[in-house]
Amino acid sequence: MKRTLALLSLAVSFACPAWSADWPNRNINLTVPYGAGGTTDLTARSIASGMSKVLGATINVVNTPGAGGSAGSLNVQNAKLDGYSLLANGLLAFTTMPLNGYTEKTFRDWDIWIATYAPNGIIVPANSPYNTITDLINAIKAKPGQITAGTAGIGSGGHFGAEVIKAVAGADYKHITYQGGGPAVTATLSGEVDFCPQLLAEYKDLIISGKVKGLASLSESDIELAPGKVLPSILKSFPDAKKYLPMGEVTGIMIPKGLPEDILKKIDAAFESAVKEKEFLDFAAVRSFTVMPKGRAESQAFLETFAGRAAYILYDAGAVTVDPAKYGFKRP
Amino acid sequence: MTFQYLLDACLNVLSPANFLMLAAAVLAGLIMGMLPGLSATMAIALLTGLTYNVGDHQTAIIALLGVYVGAISGGCQSAILLNIPGTPASAATALDGFPMARQGNGGLAIFIATTASCLGTILSVIFVLTLTPLLTSFALKFASWEFFFLSIFGILICGTLTARGNALKGWISGICGLLTAQIGLDTVDTFARFSYGNVNMMSGIQLIPVMIGLFGFPEIVKAFKSGSEAKVLQLTSFNILKGFRIVRDNIVGVVRSAFIGVGVGIIPGVGEDVGGWLSYWAMKASGRNTDGFGKGDPRGIVAAETGNNACVGGAIIPVLSLAVPGSAPAAVLMAAFFMHNYRPGPLLMTESPEFLYNVAVYLVFASVLMWLIALGMARVTVRVLTVNKKLLMPVVFLLCVVGAYLINYNLFDVKVMFFFGLIGLAMSYMNVPAAPFILGVVLGSMADSNLRRALRLSDGSFLPLFERPISVAFLIVCVLMILSQTGLLAWLRGKVKRER
Repeated sequence: MKRTLALLSLAVSFACPAWSADWPNRNINLTVPYGAGGTTDLTARSIASGMSKVLGATINVVNTPGAGGSAGSLNVQNAKLDGYSLLANGLLAFTTMPLNGYTEKTFRDWDIWIATYAPNGIIVPANSPYNTITDLINAIKAKPGQITAGTAGIGSGGHFGAEVIKAVAGADYKHITYQGGGPAVTATLSGEVDFCPQLLAEYKDLIISGKVKGLASLSESDIELAPGKVLPSILKSFPDAKKYLPMGEVTGIMIPKGLPEDILKKIDAAFESAVKEKEFLDFAAVRSFTVMPKGRAESQAFLETFAGRAAYILYDAGAVTVDPAKYGFKRP
Repeated sequence: MTFQYLLDACLNVLSPANFLMLAAAVLAGLIMGMLPGLSATMAIALLTGLTYNVGDHQTAIIALLGVYVGAISGGCQSAILLNIPGTPASAATALDGFPMARQGNGGLAIFIATTASCLGTILSVIFVLTLTPLLTSFALKFASWEFFFLSIFGILICGTLTARGNALKGWISGICGLLTAQIGLDTVDTFARFSYGNVNMMSGIQLIPVMIGLFGFPEIVKAFKSGSEAKVLQLTSFNILKGFRIVRDNIVGVVRSAFIGVGVGIIPGVGEDVGGWLSYWAMKASGRNTDGFGKGDPRGIVAAETGNNACVGGAIIPVLSLAVPGSAPAAVLMAAFFMHNYRPGPLLMTESPEFLYNVAVYLVFASVLMWLIALGMARVTVRVLTVNKKLLMPVVFLLCVVGAYLINYNLFDVKVMFFFGLIGLAMSYMNVPAAPFILGVVLGSMADSNLRRALRLSDGSFLPLFERPISVAFLIVCVLMILSQTGLLAWLRGKVKRER
């Protein structure tokens, strides 16, 4: 039924070229499937304000939180495909959505523009005995299953980071889950957990001020947090980790496939300009996000490896029951 | 230097544009707070989006703080006038506020509530200005065991939250709420509990539809019961001096509630609603002649409203010092701060030291304005009491449905509201209080996930609980509460005496 509808709208779109020629002639809705003010929301708003300048149309950001971001994503997937409802989402949650059984469609059924990459950062409490990432990895090796990692829960950005640490150490950690990133960081500050592998952006200032110790980032290169304060890449100590990197959250905007090419070209142009806006770059710099704009084709290629890695981390942890192979996801 | 910052902030907020903005934001906050379903968290989230393109960041911050204070304070009016709390934060206010309104003292109740709200925020600001570093370290003393006992403590006070003095019914209601909170993906292992494969159930039962259902439905149905009082309430005018006198006579209670509110606000994850409940309980537990509680004792209102508003300052403290929000609205507020190029957290005092003082001054101005605007509004809103209930309730019913829908734009929440509405109706016929149920829903997942987390951290051992001073103190208080409420304490005392 949905496919018929999609085909029908596709046929309609080819039948009346004037329709796509004057796109956009009204406000565009950009759905963010999380609350206002969150990382995805801020990234989306920042891109939206740049894109609306080029498109000459207002882009309304609509927040529809619920079901770990799936509710809003499905809304856009089921909406009329006319180019007026776009989605902004973090791709860890987005690409693993079919594994939760929410939908049969994968990222391959969408046109995606990737904007930013936010790496995981490994931190330990200020009074922790571990001073380097090697100390921590050795401790996990020495006491498998006893070193605690505080994350925002199964399938969260932190969980993915912790799984990379597990793969590097070749031994398991003890997963302590919290209701969100904030409580996980608080637990690290108070020393309740041994380390925290959430996204670096969540505690950049805590590292700079010395309230926690930053051990490594899960990006491929070192990250300068503040002048003279560099967080080394895990590759410095463990070059073998290369195949799991870069690990972190990737955020972009997307729309189900099937729009006429001239509308997509307009989005291409608006997106390219938006990610070069000074305000957007400043926003990314404050948050320690890497701006890595990728067009439609490039995003698909990138996501093939990214999604496979994310999917199998979840599957191996028992967080999802649908085999990623069902959707042709490749094991890293 | 401090003085300079405070002066600058005052000048900032007193500029015509900013002052108007603050007044508008406070008014908007009050209205959203009053409407069931639109909570403080949503009000701030909505405004966060709206202020994205506001060029002057100070104006945006002023508006955000204004709407926060307004929304937390506005909920009391619907709680008092309709027995339907506008936000979960003022659920405790309904316990004594609504009976007062039924006795014709609605105006006085709103006056007391608003004055207490204003004082609560201002007192909490004093804490922000003076004790931020000290209180931050207090927040970090709270780990899984402490959170667990805090929530157990919260459930135990359910026994005393009932007007009719039947502790058992309070506990039953509280435990039902606790069980309701277990529905959905559990927060430790993400296991879907009691959700029968339904995606909506998996994301859990939202607090606000439950609250609207439990409180609102019985009121709506009662209005249409045959033989229900057709007469409309006569408003008795009240003396402002009398209102001030009540607040002044309870100034110890105000300060105590402010302490509790700030403390609850600082602790991450527990917010304004719990602040109101705990203050109410403390007021009742420490007062004399507490028989009137639940039947329209103004002390209950003073405590609940001071307590929930004091959370505002409390919740902002860890935002400013650690970038860890103390409550749900504060989490959205923190995101908004980031959006406006401020970086709350440990670097704040070196990067933009004026920000702390700005926030403090804006909060004080917001609460004073809130006091004025809310009292002005109350002149209109109390007239709700004079409207025939059979005409009023259909409108309230519509607001309840819309309010439940607006939370996530999801019809499922409306169904949840109806379901709990029927339960609320049954409970009201059986004289089981609804308030503990709400508290149970608020604290349920906190109790569950923190106990399991604590046990996972200790490999199943209960020993660490005795190694932590705060959790031992909580444990002792909890045991004493169980003993006293079940009458065992009195029995033990008697036994000791007899043996002597």
